[in-house]
Amino acid sequence: MANENDRLTVRAISKRFGPVLAVNNVSFSVRKGTIHGLVGENGAGKSTLVKIITGLEKPDDGEILLDGKAVRFVTPIEARGYGITAVYQDPKLFPHIDVGENIFMGIYPRNALGLVKKRRMYGEAKRLLEDLSIDIDPHALIAGLSVAEIQFVEIVRAICADMKLLILDEPTASLTPSEADRLFAVAQALKENGTSILFISHRLEEVLKITNAVTVLRDGCHVITLPTSELTEEILVHHMVGRELKTFFTRTTSNVHEKIVLEVKNLTLPGFFRNVSFKIREGEIVGLMGLVGAGRTEIAESIFGIRPPASGEVYVSGERIKPKNPNIMRSKGVAYIPENRDENGLILAQGVAENVCLTVLDSLSLLGFISHRSEKTFAQPFVDDLEIKTESLDTPVGRLSGGNRQKVVLAKWLATKPRVLILDEPTHGIDISAKSQVHKRIFELAAEGFAVLLISSDLPEIMAMSDRILVVSRGEIVDEFTGESATQEELMTAAVSSRGRKDRNE
Amino acid sequence: MNNTKRGKQSLAQGLANRLSRNTLRLRLISVFLSFLVLFVVFSFTSENFFNFQNLKVIAFNASLLTIVACASAIVVLTRNLDLSVGSILGLAGYLVAKFATAFPHSGPMIIFIGIAVGIVLGLLNGLAIAYGKIPSIVATLGTMAIYRGLTIIIGRGIEVPSGNLPQWMIRSADLTIFNVPLVVVLAIVVVFILAFLLNNLPIFRRVYAVGSNPEAAVFYGLRSRRVVLFAYAVCGGLCGLASFLYVSRVGTITVNLGRGWETTALAAVVIGGVSMTGGSGNIIGAFLGALILSTIDNGLVLARAPEFWRMFIQGLAIVGAVLLDAMIERRIQSIFKRGRM
Repeated sequence: MANENDRLTVRAISKRFGPVLAVNNVSFSVRKGTIHGLVGENGAGKSTLVKIITGLEKPDDGEILLDGKAVRFVTPIEARGYGITAVYQDPKLFPHIDVGENIFMGIYPRNALGLVKKRRMYGEAKRLLEDLSIDIDPHALIAGLSVAEIQFVEIVRAICADMKLLILDEPTASLTPSEADRLFAVAQALKENGTSILFISHRLEEVLKITNAVTVLRDGCHVITLPTSELTEEILVHHMVGRELKTFFTRTTSNVHEKIVLEVKNLTLPGFFRNVSFKIREGEIVGLMGLVGAGRTEIAESIFGIRPPASGEVYVSGERIKPKNPNIMRSKGVAYIPENRDENGLILAQGVAENVCLTVLDSLSLLGFISHRSEKTFAQPFVDDLEIKTESLDTPVGRLSGGNRQKVVLAKWLATKPRVLILDEPTHGIDISAKSQVHKRIFELAAEGFAVLLISSDLPEIMAMSDRILVVSRGEIVDEFTGESATQEELMTAAVSSRGRKDRNE
Repeated sequence: MNNTKRGKQSLAQGLANRLSRNTLRLRLISVFLSFLVLFVVFSFTSENFFNFQNLKVIAFNASLLTIVACASAIVVLTRNLDLSVGSILGLAGYLVAKFATAFPHSGPMIIFIGIAVGIVLGLLNGLAIAYGKIPSIVATLGTMAIYRGLTIIIGRGIEVPSGNLPQWMIRSADLTIFNVPLVVVLAIVVVFILAFLLNNLPIFRRVYAVGSNPEAAVFYGLRSRRVVLFAYAVCGGLCGLASFLYVSRVGTITVNLGRGWETTALAAVVIGGVSMTGGSGNIIGAFLGALILSTIDNGLVLARAPEFWRMFIQGLAIVGAVLLDAMIERRIQSIFKRGRM
């Protein structure tokens, strides 16, 4: 059944997180000595699949074959013992320890007394680095290396075992083009030695450049696996998109006024984004679309003063404001609802009323004291308005469902009477009916005259919701679409390419 | 155009990299330099400071603190704390004195009793923290009180007079090798053995790794819990050894033995450049930290400075050291985590 040229076969793997089917019956094979691309939108299930292959997550169903034999790992170490290693986007190394030891940590060469054979270790490290023509001193501390060098060390560490499959998860996301080329050279060298590589990237031109075959995932499902020779960027994008909008509510009217509420000019934060400029009018919903790591959240955090920008200007209702910290922005009428609402937005152990009033404690307090009754009186209309389903105003927020928690966060920020609402992935991880309610509420807010900046990875959602869509790629706004004019293909093409339509047309 | 910008960026980065590559080494040198500065200053403030007799006093006073500081340092390297070292010292010391009184002819067995008691108490800490997942500051705050309380219950508040201890123990405190007190030699030997093991024994290297990046340790399969347990056991064992030396030196043992040592030892560790965020620092640093504290004590006494000056200067040294470490750590983390876009 399994082809003898197959190194890794994933067969009918499924994994469910609560209501979400993250990976749904996925099957594909990676050939020996090839580079195999894995692409898909945000949340298509790539990361979960990697975690399952390396033993960090347990699949609900299905099996993994390595060289034709079924394997099941419980820990990444076990996977490593079989020659499967993953290099993640964020470094998994020890910053205070030098390169040589990081490579050999846990698998030290030892002498008869059980002591580390240091000379042998550093010599071996040097040889491994040189084999891949990587110029790093084995005695250098990890803390002193560049991002690319750190990745090379991780790869070298992976190699010292008998490596069969190397998984590179978004390896080029934080590399410069020349560093990325070095990485590809290393990958080629490994491939020629017979190692298979599973290469995950948002950058389709890279995928097309270095892979032998590509698997596309969408919504946790396997869409297609094709040899790279039969692929183009257009074909890949076509397979990646095509999800349907899952909501019970659609927008009927859009009422955009002339008045500009939020204007951003040439906002720059080195290393994250540069020259970001846009305007949002009263009653307008502007979508900010981009792949994970493109800089969407960083732009939002910058406007809200969490990461003050290095340069650029922000105007709220025509008044120039320096976003030095969130307090200033909040007092000027900007509200930001972060993606990770439990971590950043709520005190789970406290009641609904307390949470709603968090942002406006000063105005509710009398001589510095707050009466619980006034909190409840204040919170009640918000709870009614947003239809937050809770037993009472004192019910701890931790006991509410995801959708209702999201509404509490929304209420909390609406309490500050904002003019600009920045919503980062407002419907991430909540069920369809709650999603529809959030959508409805966002429309109502826009109709009331709020300026809304909506960040979402959900293509159909952002298309249905927005009056205009800005596409961010690698820290720059590369393209702009009006809501109805865009197709999923166009949006995705803009998001994955290094240059937007604007540049290409020039 | 893009490329030249990146070129400039990486040039600046390269410079920063070279700097940070050596910061950890520089940190230890800074500890040594401040020790030298103290020495020079005190040599001027009092003429009795810089002579062999006084240096011997400083070394003698620093010796026990050195061992306890090393014990504390090993735990701090794993990104944990041990507030119970003073109480371990007390309980182990009390049991050592009791045992020596009851079996005066048991000889060197007494040393092993001290070490064994220390290891057991350390293991209990380690179990609560590594396996019970109790934050170390809370767990050892608890065991600090528990161990002290046990000492008082066992001793019923009565002290063990020195007259009951075997003579060889009392005399051992006065032994010298080439005019250097035996306990000083022993402390130096302990420091060097530990420094060697920390650099060369895999399990001790894991102590660094777990403290440096606990998240990565999982991916490396380092079994962090065992490493933390090990660190606490070593810490306890060293406190047990120190308790024997303490009993031999002081003779009369009260239930208050070792009270307050946890903070002094921690002060020595911090001043010696062992990072409270784990993963960086070494035993030589803890040793220098203990020497610095002992020198400050001695120098101020000779200069007839009032007692509160000692606390004030010690406090300044701690805050200064922690600030410096925080700056270094921020630098390391910002380089390590930069550019994740």
